[in-house]
Amino acid sequence: MKKLLTAAMMLALGVTSASAQSLEDLNIQVHGYATQGFIYTTQNNIFTTSSSNGSPAWSEAVLNVSSQPIPKLRVAVQGRYFLLGNYGNAITLDWASADYKVNDRFGVRFGKVKTPNGLFNETQDIDPSYIWSLLPQSVYPLPSRNSLLTHTGGVAYGTFDLGHKFGKIEYRGWGGERLLGSTDAFFVNQVEAGLNLPNGLGGMIFGGAIHWKTPLPGLTVGISDIKNNLWSSTATAGNGALSGTETINHNNQPSYFAKYEKNKIMVAYEYYRLPVSGAIQIKGIPTIPIRNDDRDWYAMASYRVSEKFTAGIYDSQITNKAAALGPARFQKDWAISGRYDFNQFLYAKAEQHFVDGTAIGYDTGLNPNGLKPDTRMTIFKIGVNF
Amino acid sequence: MKKLLLSFLFVAFASLISQRSYAQVIVIANPSVKASTVSKAELSDVFTGNATALKDGSHAVPVLLKSGTTHEEFLKEYIGRSDSAYRAGWRSLVFSGQGAMPKSVESDAAAVDFVSHNAGAIGYISKATPHEGVKVLAVK
Repeated sequence: MKKLLTAAMMLALGVTSASAQSLEDLNIQVHGYATQGFIYTTQNNIFTTSSSNGSPAWSEAVLNVSSQPIPKLRVAVQGRYFLLGNYGNAITLDWASADYKVNDRFGVRFGKVKTPNGLFNETQDIDPSYIWSLLPQSVYPLPSRNSLLTHTGGVAYGTFDLGHKFGKIEYRGWGGERLLGSTDAFFVNQVEAGLNLPNGLGGMIFGGAIHWKTPLPGLTVGISDIKNNLWSSTATAGNGALSGTETINHNNQPSYFAKYEKNKIMVAYEYYRLPVSGAIQIKGIPTIPIRNDDRDWYAMASYRVSEKFTAGIYDSQITNKAAALGPARFQKDWAISGRYDFNQFLYAKAEQHFVDGTAIGYDTGLNPNGLKPDTRMTIFKIGVNF
Repeated sequence: MKKLLLSFLFVAFASLISQRSYAQVIVIANPSVKASTVSKAELSDVFTGNATALKDGSHAVPVLLKSGTTHEEFLKEYIGRSDSAYRAGWRSLVFSGQGAMPKSVESDAAAVDFVSHNAGAIGYISKATPHEGVKVLAVK
């Protein structure tokens, strides 16, 4: 992985010294961004950070190199350094793909590609592109971003223009393999309890999405669905002394969404369901059933107050219908956000969250006295991009 | 009453000026582009990366001005976004592997030069800028 990133960065440096003519011919572009965040919470520590004391352990830097040697073919690679509490602190390959666009109605992309489900999955990692410091965690949990962002395989995509009366249909279909890393947030409490997945957990996924750009300018309505096949992986306990398997049964993860964007206003809504069942079976330990039925949604709105300042608000909720009653079954998160663009390269964000419930984002290791039912979270973030 | 009338006249005059400003931005294209007219929707699709061709099948390659009044007026009239929101949209495409940042040039003259020498190129300039070697697209 590091060799690949080193090569990508050398390519980026190399092209800067290449002749202007060769750069022009290959249409090589280098882009990047970096962000630094600061989180403060009342009551609970979140995202494996010591946020109740104020934590700056939230950094990322991205380098993107692309080339378009012929008009229909684009090749690109993106590497990332990411740190969030105990997550990340490593350079990883975000994605690397070759994209061939036959025409606006059909194109294909292969490699480690972004999975185009929901409204924001393809752009959830692109902090410079949106106002929020945190996307709604009910649907886009930050600590699982690396696992959910991509799959290895392909995407077919295109747009059909249905005319002035019916708008446009954008379609995406995908298939391949997805891997949840061994340190993914889905497993943090399991790992803290001594159950590890040395190889992570993953398997085949397939899916499709339809975005209807309606005749009403600015309004998009859509649906997507991911089908996960049976996933199974080695699980260990007792510091590796015991071993067995963790299995997740096949499931479907539908999303329904709508977005309206015009002039200074943006309004969006998304509903997502994550039903998961399975088991951890390790010899010598009673079988541990896995059962989740997350019903998640958010509604958001933003308004561009001025050329440089945008404000927004959202309500994000998750309810695990399979969990016992109590604060761990749900999470309700109201967020008020602002973004200031100093210029096209530098921006700052501030966000205040009012969180009730503890369904996501918390681990036992940094909350040894148990979780309080509600949290207030303040975020500041600064970012640069080129 | 006088103040109200003066305020009204000022606003009316300002609107008149701003309308005249929009008329000063023209859309230019390489002669390889078959169309003589283009809709606002088509133009928006090309300049936001949602389309790589016009409805008549002509391949379309957008070129932007880096900054300035003409650039801002073009965005306001035909894209409906501020410069920062517009560039954020392109960044989404670049950082998700779905597109490459379009060519940006420093001046109207550079835009005319690029459009005239590149098949499929579409740009925008001030109406007062000399534009030999390119065709003007009417926007309906």
